[in-house]
Formats: sequence, C-alpha cells, structure tokens
Amino acid sequence: MKLAFIQALTRLAREDNRIVLLTGDLGFGVFDEFAREFGPRYVNVGVAEAQLIMAAAGMASVGMRPVTYSIASFATCRCFEQLKLAVAYAQLPVIVVGAGGGYAYSSSGVTHHAGEDISLLCALPGMTVVAPGDPQEAASLLPQMHSAGRCGYFRIGRGKEPACRSIIEPVLGKARLMQHGRGVAVLSTGEIASEVQAALDELRRRGVVPSWYQYHTIKPLDCQTLDAIAQRVQTIVVVEEHLAHGGLAAQVSNHFASRPSHPALIALNTGDGFVLGSPHKDEFRRNAGLCAASIAEAVMGIWKEPQAAHRAGSTASA
Amino acid sequence: MSYPQTNSTVVVDMPRLIRQARQARATCVQLAHDGRVGHVGSALSCVDAIVALYGGWLNVNESNRGADDRDRFILSKGHACTALYAVLAQRGFIPAQWLADYACYGKPLSDHPCKHALELLEMSSGSLGYGLGVAAGMLYGLSLRSVYPRAVVLMSDGECNEGSVWEAAMFAAAKRLGNLVALVDYNGIQAVGRSDEIMGHTSIEQKFRAFGWAARTINGNDMPEVVDALWSLPLEPDKPSAIVLKTLKGAGVSFMQDKTLWHYRVPSDEDLQNALDELGEVPWHLARRACA
Repeated sequence: MKLAFIQALTRLAREDNRIVLLTGDLGFGVFDEFAREFGPRYVNVGVAEAQLIMAAAGMASVGMRPVTYSIASFATCRCFEQLKLAVAYAQLPVIVVGAGGGYAYSSSGVTHHAGEDISLLCALPGMTVVAPGDPQEAASLLPQMHSAGRCGYFRIGRGKEPACRSIIEPVLGKARLMQHGRGVAVLSTGEIASEVQAALDELRRRGVVPSWYQYHTIKPLDCQTLDAIAQRVQTIVVVEEHLAHGGLAAQVSNHFASRPSHPALIALNTGDGFVLGSPHKDEFRRNAGLCAASIAEAVMGIWKEPQAAHRAGSTASA
Repeated sequence: MSYPQTNSTVVVDMPRLIRQARQARATCVQLAHDGRVGHVGSALSCVDAIVALYGGWLNVNESNRGADDRDRFILSKGHACTALYAVLAQRGFIPAQWLADYACYGKPLSDHPCKHALELLEMSSGSLGYGLGVAAGMLYGLSLRSVYPRAVVLMSDGECNEGSVWEAAMFAAAKRLGNLVALVDYNGIQAVGRSDEIMGHTSIEQKFRAFGWAARTINGNDMPEVVDALWSLPLEPDKPSAIVLKTLKGAGVSFMQDKTLWHYRVPSDEDLQNALDELGEVPWHLARRACA
C-alpha cells in the first residue's frame, strides 16, 4: 500500500505543484524517486513529529497542499495537539499519512502499534478519516481526499497487502459494497479487509454468504448505508485492527443507539489491552481473533438460524 | 536567494514610539481590568517590541493584506494578546471600539488570539510552542514559490521550555531561513516560577546559537535598543535570527514589575487607577471616545 500511496502521490504532485511531501525521517527508499523529481517539495524534517505537523500547517496556510508521512503511531499520538490546534482548529488542508496503522508493525512492539489512531483522529472536528483496505483502494482514495481540500488522516499498511475483490469503485465517504449476501453483514476498515475476504471465501464454500461492506471512510461515517443494511440483516459483524474504544464498531454502535431498533452487533477488535509479546502479523491476528478463521467462526456462530432454515428446506425438498 | 531589507528610508520617530508604547501599556491594563482576564504582566513586558515592529519595520498595511509577500507577525505567546490588540488599534488595523469588547463572547478580540474571530491574524495562538514551527513552514512554503517575506515570532521565555520550539529551531536552521526572526521575551518569570530556575540557569541566546541560529540579547524595554536591533536584521546572512529581549514582567507599572503575581492577577479598580496615573496615558479606545 506504501508503494500505491507514493505512486498516487507522485501522479498528483505532477498535476498540482502545491503538493509538498514531508516525512518525519521515515520511508527509507520509498521516496527516492519523489525526491529526485520534486526536489524541495520533498522535506525530511527529522525525527520531530511536532515540527512535521507545524511545518505542514504553515505551508498549508500559505496555499500549499502538504502531505505528512510517518509511522501511524508517531504520526498521530506523538503530535496530537499539533493536529488538533495547528491543523484541525485552523481548518487547513493537510493530509496526515500514518503508515502501518493499527498493528501492521505488531512484531516491533507496543511502541510501534497504533490501535487508537482512528479514535484519536475521529475526535478532531472537521477531520476526514480514511483507512483503505488494499493498494488499489489507497490509490483511488488519495486523490479524492486531495480534491476534498480538507484536513484528513490516511491510514495505510506497511506493505504487501493482498488485493481485494469488489463490486464497485471506492468513493470517499461511502461504504464500499464488496459482496452481496443475506442475513448477516460484515463491515471492515483498513487492511484487515484481506482477512475478511479469505473468511468469506471459506464461508461461501460452506454455503454461508453474508454481505460485506468496506468502510474505508470512518469519518464522515456513511450512516445512510448503515440504515439500509439495518433493514436487511439481523446481525452486523464489525472487523477492525483497532482498540474497542472509538473505532468503527464504537461509531456504528453510536449511530444505531439513536435508532428505535437495529441489528445485533458483534465487534472483532483488540478490546482494551496492549498487544504484548511482539507477535508477527499472522500470530497477532490469530491471537486477537482477527484472522480469517476467527472471522469465519464469528459469522458461523450467528448464522445458525438461516443455516438451519436452509438445511430444513433442503431436507424437505430432498 | 535574497531577502528584503528593512526600508532604510523609513525615519523612526523615537519619541513617538516611546509615547505609543506608554499608551499601549495603558490600554493593556484597562483591557485586563475590563475583561477580567490576567496575563497583564506578560503583555506589558513585550509592548515595546510590538510597537517597534508595527512602527515601520513590518511590511504590513491595508493594501497588502492577503498578499504573499507581506511580512508575517505571529504572537506565539498568545496570552499577551492585549499588547497586540492595543497596537493593532493604534495602527488602525482594527477599530478602537473593538477594544471595549475584549474577552466578550463572540467578539473579535478574544482572550488568546483566534483567527476565526479576527481574520487578520496569521494564526491562532494560546498553547505555547507553535509560532516558530508554523512560521518556518510558512516561509518554506512561500520559498517554493520564490517569495521571501520576513516572519517575526514573539515568544515567551517559558515557551522555550517546550520541545516543539527546538524542533522548529532545528528545522529553520537546516532550511537556512534567514528571513525568520524569533523574539524571546525574557522577562524571567513564567506561570508559577522563575524561568532561570526552571531552565537550570542556562542561556537562551546560547541555545539558539547551538541550534545554528544567529542570536543576541538586548534590553527589550529600551525602545532605541529594540529599534536598533530590529533594523539591523538579519544578524547573519542565511541564518535565522533570535533576539533575546531582556525585559521586566509588568514593565512600566512599578507595582507590577518583576512580580510572579502579575502573571495571573486581574487588576482591581484601584490597581487600574494607580497604573494609569503612573503611565500618564489614557487607554486608546477611551481616548478616542473622549475625542468623539
């Protein structure tokens, strides 16, 4: 996704000479070509995340369109007040890119985890928050964020995220229908999409076909689609690499709390704990119940009734 | 690259600037009293610098508002906003009557400057450690369009406790922003203590030098010294300049001078009267009202 991001940014920077890429001394090798092509429009501010954001805010206030880059944890938590005051309060069009959002750097330890990035950034007034699921989605959404001309957070992966199949193109601010289904809807955000896809492939083999929406845009939340989903399913399963507080599931719950009736909700996330032990990504997902098998199991657990009805029907017709 | 030099044809009327500083001080005390807001000591210490900046040094006027090449002034120590408001009114950038509504709900002159309330500000301020970093970003961004105005950031000595100041100082030196000026109001007192004790009795000037800046220290409450220092900028070509203004908290009002109490204290009716008597000036908006 990093590669897709920098390729998309390079295309944008060729069209719009206001774009400046600022890095907090990260992205080894990824920005070489950008730096060669755009010279002073590539700035390494050093290991200085406060300055990363303040410099970007200053540039935006004189008409430039800065994009800041760091590892998601440093890009958000480390400089949160700068994001609040220099960017959000000032209403400046800065795009903050957090690489390896969630637990993409799971094996690097808690210091490199960003299980609260979505929650923090969604809390800031006027901030658009986007977590693409695969490289193609990242490449499509970055120019849309740029065109929107507002401040935004763009959570990308660490690299080598598998491509996901989809029915429609991603549109900023709209949930993306990835698979038609019935009875149950799975909602995901960020690069966990590939695990959801693997889970749904397995479920399909067992005759279980829930619908699947990728909520790449968490803020503003596409509540219209949520209400439409609520009309059609009994249960919603939300899958995200994020803590329980303030993530996609929390925001979906928050929306449904104002409705007289709504589907049951099952949240698959990292709860309220640090991920200790520096697990590799696959180990982390298995332990946290976020691997394809766990997602499939969660859906199977609530699929009982439609499945039973289906079996009853099959038996009767046999 | 070449940076604009101060227009040497501008003749500085020193007695007038000194009088304006006294008038601005009277306005500051009145605003703190009427608005029931503290920080008057922090405003009084930096009045001279702001009066000098707007007294012909800054290239800002009604006709270049919004122009890329205007100079930028940022009051990073936003708690001293009454000093800025007093000078903006004196110079005709804002109507005198706005001063009467200082710190009133929904009015342009808020406690801690807010750009949404007062559009002509370069940025909002209040949380410390922002002005230098944002100004450096502004100048860098403008340099990409080959525009080189100057930016002056007025900071407090307590503000230099913030790590973000030194992140910004490093960036400005690395990018050779010779058109960036930091004015540090070294009044020696921060919110609840003496800044020297909190900084371990280390030199602000030397810190800036160590970060690759040119720096000097002057008496920041002596108008001729302030004018001389500003008009001889930049201190060295292609280096950002830091001028440490050795000042007194509450400068100009004897009973407020060098007292930690006056970081927060709101002047009483009696304090106000004593201060105005000592300054011998009428606050700007009240003088205008008397004329009308």
